[in-house]
Amino acid sequence: MSARISASLVVNDSGEIACMSCGHALGPSGQPWKNAATLSETPLQGAAGEPYSNAANVLLRKFYCPSCATLLDSESALEEDPFLNDVVHI
Amino acid sequence: MDPITFSIIRHRLYRVIDEAVITLKHVSGSAITNEGHDLMVSLYRADGSLLMGGVGFLHHLTSAAEACKSIIRRFEGRIDEGDVFLTNCPYTAALHTSDVYLVAPIHYDGKLVAWSACFVHVYDIGAMVPGGFSPDSRDIFTEGFSSPGLKLVEQGEMNHDIMDTLLNMVRAPEMVALDLSSMIASNNVARERMVALVHKYGPEAVDQACQMLVDQSEESFRERLRELPDGRWESRQYFDIEDETYRVLLAMTKKDDTLTFDFTGSSEQSKYGINCAYWAAWGGFFAPLFPLLCYDITWNDGVLRPISMIAPEGTIVNCTRPAPISLATVGAIQSVNNAACICISKMLSASEKYAKEATAVWHGSHFAIFMFGQNQKGQEAIGIMTETFGGAGGGRSFADGVDVGGEIPNPIGRMANVETTENHFPVRYLFRRATIDSGGPGKYRGGTGLEYAIQQHDSPDGGIHYVVSGKGTKFSMSDGLGGGYPGAPCNYRWVHNNEAAAEGKNVNPFATSTEQMTGEQESVSWGVYPLMDQDVLYVRSDGGGGYGDPLAREPERLARDVRHGSVSAGVARRVYGVVLDAAGEVDTAASEAAREAIRAARLSQAAAE
Repeated sequence: MSARISASLVVNDSGEIACMSCGHALGPSGQPWKNAATLSETPLQGAAGEPYSNAANVLLRKFYCPSCATLLDSESALEEDPFLNDVVHI
Repeated sequence: MDPITFSIIRHRLYRVIDEAVITLKHVSGSAITNEGHDLMVSLYRADGSLLMGGVGFLHHLTSAAEACKSIIRRFEGRIDEGDVFLTNCPYTAALHTSDVYLVAPIHYDGKLVAWSACFVHVYDIGAMVPGGFSPDSRDIFTEGFSSPGLKLVEQGEMNHDIMDTLLNMVRAPEMVALDLSSMIASNNVARERMVALVHKYGPEAVDQACQMLVDQSEESFRERLRELPDGRWESRQYFDIEDETYRVLLAMTKKDDTLTFDFTGSSEQSKYGINCAYWAAWGGFFAPLFPLLCYDITWNDGVLRPISMIAPEGTIVNCTRPAPISLATVGAIQSVNNAACICISKMLSASEKYAKEATAVWHGSHFAIFMFGQNQKGQEAIGIMTETFGGAGGGRSFADGVDVGGEIPNPIGRMANVETTENHFPVRYLFRRATIDSGGPGKYRGGTGLEYAIQQHDSPDGGIHYVVSGKGTKFSMSDGLGGGYPGAPCNYRWVHNNEAAAEGKNVNPFATSTEQMTGEQESVSWGVYPLMDQDVLYVRSDGGGGYGDPLAREPERLARDVRHGSVSAGVARRVYGVVLDAAGEVDTAASEAAREAIRAARLSQAAAE
């Protein structure tokens, strides 16, 4: 039986982090998973309409499930900053 | 102790605070207190530890405990019945100099049994800039009066030497006197009601109930932590001031029944007053922790015991004297609030039982506009535009963020209506409304922020001045959760209609949007500016963070959003993949095709959104 570790991820019976929507595995539990996701990095400026027009030099990182394309997580970041990593011990 | 007596005493403590808050509001005359509810009243044990956290800004609950403890140390052997002490030193306990604490010992039969404490953001504190937010200050010495401890009232008698000295150092002393009087009255009511409680049940029984209450909170909180998975969660807040970028980094580690908040890696302290001191950072993460993790647990010292904090000295979350600090509340403290909100929410999201308690960030910027000048009645009008308390709610696992819904750190925060503000300041609103497309997209979108524009009106000086002092306009600070986008950033513009009029251009005095304004629009985000004659100040607050994948949002919700002006048809199509027909109804086939196209683009890593 899988156990949720975030709003979009679970740890499956095999001890792997997996997409909550389709079950696609993203790596071993307790390890960073974002490198196994499909990454989109676009400017936050204009990301969702005119109110985002003055965002400057900041990226909107979106991490998609490589199988079902569900958006698993997002973060705004300057280019030089690393991914935010969350580790849940199940 | 029998459980019924315990419950009665516990509820009486709540009511003591309620009545003290009502008293404070009845006596204070400032909009920031009465309209914005920028206040706090709480009760403390005889040793100064938090007994019963009250309402208002929650990051003050723990800082006022430090205020009580610092007064106990400073005035050892000189704390008497009827005393009221004042402290507003940020390097002692306060958040910034404008938030003045008045703390009062409560005695019964000559023995110290408890403390009451309260704060308001006083009308003025004598800083470089009226109102206390002082963007040009480069040290605390120019941020107004600051004291680590004064005995303002001695055994029931006002110490007029101290009061008069304070009032001699501030603008609008009659209003500051009212603020201080409101806090004295609040403490008086708290003391009288506590004494009545102790008299009825006896000092031993009340002390026992209070100890049980603290122990109960600790036990309940530790049990809750044990229910949640162990782990480590990260968050990051950016903000900008005058082309400088700052970071607040947080790694929150939960192990068994303990939590550690580690701010290692945060930016070095700034030359600008957005820094906060140690106890402000400590209070900063309790502001979201209390309501998100302890919504059914009494907020007291028991909740503090399982918590530890690492805040490196010399950083913006633990600055060293004499670094400027006057904007801490809308600066680093709010960033600590936001970072903690996301880390706690990510931890909650990892639990089937508690996932519904998680939320994206509310009101990340806490944008603040202070006004000062002569008003239409010839009075010295100083104060905050209370829209700063009307933040945008974050999306949750079951609902959208509340549009212009408030903020987590102050559950009773609110903003004044337009007419109240126009009555106090010599201004008129051109418009004030929710901002379309400002909420972060998500399965449950972030709440919309607001936008407003004001012009001087009937000012005896031809205008008024304002202070812009948020955390910039380049970054989104209301982070999303579970894939939800962050809310849109803030925007402030000085519309130069006077120059346009001088050039012979028509200036629309009733513009209802920035597009209808003739003057050049200059972006501003930090400093003191004039609002004279026909010029306009336009302010747009940030939106709340979204929750979940925007493609999972029910199409009918988008149709409603577009009808209500919360989301534009273009964003509905481009970000959410929902196509509306000419009547505003969902075109199901076209929407399915649009979502498939977005999914395909995601997998090809194309930036289709």
